[in-house]
Amino acid sequence: MSSQEHYGSRLPYKFLVGLVALVIFFLEAPLIILIIQSFTAESYLAFPPPSYGIRWYKEVLTSEDWLNSITLSLTIAAVVTPLSLVLGTMAAFALDRGPKKLKHGLQTIMIAPMVLPHIVLGLGLFKMALQLDIDDSMLAYIPAHLTITIPFVIISVGASLQTFEQSLEEAARSLGANRFWAVWYITLPIIQPALIAGGIFSFIISFDEFIITFFLTTFQRTLPIEMFSTLMYQVKPSIAAVSTLTLAVTAFLTAMLILRGQVTSGDKVIK
Amino acid sequence: MSRNSDQNYGALWLLTPTVLLYVATFFVPLIMLGVLSFAKFEASVTTIGFYFDNYIKIFSDGITLKIFFQTVRLSIVITFWCLILGYPVALLMRKCSPKMKMILLFCVVSPLLTSIIVRNVAWLLILGRSGLINDTLIQWGLISRPLPLMYNEFGVILAVVHVYLSFMVLPLFGALNSINSSIEEAASSLGAPYWRVFLSITLPLSLPGVMAGCTLVFILSMGVYLTPVIMGGNFVLTLPMLITESVREQYDWPFASAMALMLLLAIGFMVILSSGVQRLVGRR
Repeated sequence: MSSQEHYGSRLPYKFLVGLVALVIFFLEAPLIILIIQSFTAESYLAFPPPSYGIRWYKEVLTSEDWLNSITLSLTIAAVVTPLSLVLGTMAAFALDRGPKKLKHGLQTIMIAPMVLPHIVLGLGLFKMALQLDIDDSMLAYIPAHLTITIPFVIISVGASLQTFEQSLEEAARSLGANRFWAVWYITLPIIQPALIAGGIFSFIISFDEFIITFFLTTFQRTLPIEMFSTLMYQVKPSIAAVSTLTLAVTAFLTAMLILRGQVTSGDKVIK
Repeated sequence: MSRNSDQNYGALWLLTPTVLLYVATFFVPLIMLGVLSFAKFEASVTTIGFYFDNYIKIFSDGITLKIFFQTVRLSIVITFWCLILGYPVALLMRKCSPKMKMILLFCVVSPLLTSIIVRNVAWLLILGRSGLINDTLIQWGLISRPLPLMYNEFGVILAVVHVYLSFMVLPLFGALNSINSSIEEAASSLGAPYWRVFLSITLPLSLPGVMAGCTLVFILSMGVYLTPVIMGGNFVLTLPMLITESVREQYDWPFASAMALMLLLAIGFMVILSSGVQRLVGRR
């Protein structure tokens, strides 16, 4: 270590950059390795793969088990996302427009499922589903998933409503629009980025949910559960291919989320 | 209509559907677990009542309490490593250029939205018996038998840290970002070396973020089921695994409920502790 570096802040900064590079490597490298391995043409997993191909993707996309579980997961997420958006947005409006003195307490209650460990929530939901005899069915999965996705919609829409200029809505109403149409034509388009974010969060959370669904199912298998059972049995290249497919879906949605975020912060000029 | 009447109780009806949902999926199930935890389970029959058998069993069967403390210990170790790895990232995010900040933010946020099971699969392919590391080391002739990199605490801790690191970085970044950097500049212009500036200004002022991040990661780690099962096999037992097993295999709802309540108690204790510490720090 040369003595001149002690004076400036260069040395600690370089050290910091090096340290962070290692952490980022730790975060991202496993996923990159996973993606590369999924394109192996061999019947086993090795890094780097001796030969490349899309053999395992073909296998996954023609296997009935995988397709059934992908369909089930997509169906659940497709039902949960709009419902979660509607209920969560309604709740966020209630918290924003309702009495101020109740806001803090009500908000704590409305996002409470988020802080409860999913293992405990799953246990309770399983008991409830058994009592009502609806376990292993959509009637159990959808309310269960909604309970964990709604808080995210409430938070993202709530934050957006806080910066929303309510006088715009009042202007529409003074021009004769009733409350519903004023919200529909004025408020909702303005808070659209928050709605999209809430929707994407809901979709991803529902699509990836494991432990709660694991309690609720006996025969049906969502994608994470199918992956888990396959994994417990044998680690084949097909699991890497499925993982990469899942990763592609979530990465696409995440990228949309982040790009939208940039667009939104650019839009704020309007205010 | 005046503005005041808009800010009124009328808006609350919009909460109805969500509240009804929560009653069925959140409040009633939790109450049921509470009631069940005081029930008796004998010869596969559950008798509702007010018995302390399950709680006594937790403390006296010799294994549950041990696994509970193991879960707490693992969660503390995981939290510690998240803090050690996350702090530099948050620190750099504050100091670097906006473009670099976006890249780092993407690296930190994207794991939050990536399936946990996918990330566990990734580690499985690296740490497994014939995973990347063992394969490479054997090929190079450095070792003759595979190293035990998973199915032990090391594998579990590594994979859980990987999953929850983001939850540590975000509150840390929030706290660091709100520090007025002119205080630090003043200190260094008065001749304080960088480590002194860091230890006596940056670090103490970021403590609220440290507490928030640690609490969050600790809570999440206490409840994690999937990663210990995949990375630890049956060699690392945690409370969530015990809960799942006693319900799915032994149908012992009362005991599982009691363990779930104990988990909640531990988490509640941690939340109270951290808000207490934050109040203490805030008063200074």
